[in-house]
Amino acid sequence: MPETAAVSIRNLSKSFDGTEVLRDVSLEVQPGEVVSILGSSGSGKSTLLRCINWLEQPDRGDIRIDGDRIGVSDTGKPMSRRELAGMRARLGMVFQGFNLWPHLSVLRNVTEAPIHVQGLSKAEAEERAMALLEKVGMADKREQYPYTLSGGQKQRVAIARALAMQPKVMLFDEPTSALDPELVGEVLGVIKDLSKEGYTMVLVTHEMEFARAVSDQVVFLDKGIIIEKSHPSEFFENPKTDRVRRFLEIEAPTVPTV
Amino acid sequence: MSNWDILWSSYDVFLSGFYNTLKLFGLSAVLAFLMGSGMVFLLEGSRPRLKIPLRIFIDGMRMLPFLILAYLLYYGLPSAGIRMSAWTAGIIALVIYHGAYFAEILRGCRATFAQGQVEAAIAQGFSQPKMFLRIILPQLILKTRGLLGNQLIILLKDTAFLVIITVRELTAAASSLSSTYFIPMEAFIVVIGFYWLISIGLELFIKMIGRFGAKRGFENA
Amino acid sequence: MDSGAWGLLIQGAWTTLWISGISIAIGVVMGLLIALLRVAKIPVLHQLLGVYISLARATPLVTLVLFIFLTAPTMGVNLNRNVAGIIALTLNTTAFNAEIWRSAFNNFSKEQREAALAIGMTPWVYFRRIMLPQITITSLPGLVNEMSFLIKGSPAIAVIGVVDLTRVTNRISAVTYDPLPPILAAAALYMLIISLLVWLQRVAERKASRLAV
Repeated sequence: MPETAAVSIRNLSKSFDGTEVLRDVSLEVQPGEVVSILGSSGSGKSTLLRCINWLEQPDRGDIRIDGDRIGVSDTGKPMSRRELAGMRARLGMVFQGFNLWPHLSVLRNVTEAPIHVQGLSKAEAEERAMALLEKVGMADKREQYPYTLSGGQKQRVAIARALAMQPKVMLFDEPTSALDPELVGEVLGVIKDLSKEGYTMVLVTHEMEFARAVSDQVVFLDKGIIIEKSHPSEFFENPKTDRVRRFLEIEAPTVPTV
Repeated sequence: MSNWDILWSSYDVFLSGFYNTLKLFGLSAVLAFLMGSGMVFLLEGSRPRLKIPLRIFIDGMRMLPFLILAYLLYYGLPSAGIRMSAWTAGIIALVIYHGAYFAEILRGCRATFAQGQVEAAIAQGFSQPKMFLRIILPQLILKTRGLLGNQLIILLKDTAFLVIITVRELTAAASSLSSTYFIPMEAFIVVIGFYWLISIGLELFIKMIGRFGAKRGFENA
Repeated sequence: MDSGAWGLLIQGAWTTLWISGISIAIGVVMGLLIALLRVAKIPVLHQLLGVYISLARATPLVTLVLFIFLTAPTMGVNLNRNVAGIIALTLNTTAFNAEIWRSAFNNFSKEQREAALAIGMTPWVYFRRIMLPQITITSLPGLVNEMSFLIKGSPAIAVIGVVDLTRVTNRISAVTYDPLPPILAAAALYMLIISLLVWLQRVAERKASRLAV
């Protein structure tokens, strides 16, 4: 094992109204690694991702980002809002529904947190934002407002917005599920580029072929339990369990990879 | 001398009334809006502690005539040992009363707000106050601008009630001029014109915000 | 507060209610008529009514009450205080009601008219039997809401000496030297009246939403 894991999840459990959605989940993500979380809907995969940046609070277990525990401070008490905000700023999150802020232009969506959370000057934040918008191919739309953009364009801006905080880890929560099929490719293309650049990423997705192409590790969740954790080639060609085999048969690749 | 000449000779009375009304309106509009936004901020979070008291306060104000609140502050409170000038009582009444209405307008809109945007801000490490100020409040204003504008006009009109508790505002000016020179028609036409003017100005201001909002895809509320 | 004070208070409440009630009744009907005239877009009249609505909505009730009460004698009309109050409240609420009715007309679907004329209804029968009943139901929540606003504005008539539910508190405290209890009692009575209207508005909203489906 190399130095500190970028994300380390140990014995995580979470229930909603008495229903256990995550049961004793453990997972390590090494720096530079891309991990895909697969599973049918209701398997708990989005909840797992949302626990990583404490949008959901797990009932048991602990999560460390770069060795530092999130949600619980050194004294064992729940983190203050301020401490939590500091931890969250190390994680970039991309949502299924984009969640851009409609009253701000594309550029301001990207600069807002660097200026008002990290305390960057406007000029620094804009320089950083323009480089990222360039990277996701949205630089020419910087003055537009979100409602004028297509879903794919919105998601690319959302990716730039998350990257602008220079996070240690990027979390993707079904980033293409809300997109029309013809727009999926442009977003997956951007994520694939990021994986080549060595970003550490955890993604929840339904795009099997894509997961196979970009992941270093594939995790399969079923009813809140990790039942397989393996290299993509092994996972897709030689699944260990019947459950995964059945899942792969149903989830035939829908969209060609980029 | 015609009636209008008499009026013109006392234009300073109108001007000071106009100025007082504008001052009452401007000051209490700003404070009431801050108070309303503050109450909505206190209602943020999953289990706000002040939810029930704020609900009672807001609903209570919405069931009262403005004048009875002004009466309470100006005539009623001295029996409890709290004395203030008519002007102070008037401003406080305007702020409390319309603060509650502003809070209700903003709260109603906040309840329909997409949770995803708030999560995006939390995930980026925004603190609660910064998120409210930079992400939530600007959108609430853009979405409710029509209702906020109506409320501002109601606030403007409620300043006239203060003549009854002896505040020297615009309506008081018309009233005193008309009784001094017995020219009520002309005096009140001028004053109603003033109110009309401010209302039209407010409507233009709201339209301006509307253009600002339309550019961002916010439809008319 | 003794029973005499309560008696005065109830009288004040009654004055508020009957003066507001008459104004509301006239205002709802006049509002409908003005909305119809506005929908017809008759030149000049359309603009004149527009100016009236804009002016009436911008003028504070207190100012309007004073204007009417003080101006009438200069034109040789001696107005009773109550009548002056009713005129002012009516002029005010009519303007708001006209806009409520008008927006209901503007939002009414045109297809129903074609369907009615196609089966041989005259325009009047169509208006009376098809359009008006639906428009009344969709306007009702707004109209009831405006009734609350009128009650909340009605203390304006105190300025010309009508002893309504607000002004009566001065009269009681002139005797008892303690204004706080009558003011609080009056506030409670206002809350009772308004909460009744708020309840009515909810019922009306439920009816209106059933129509929308």
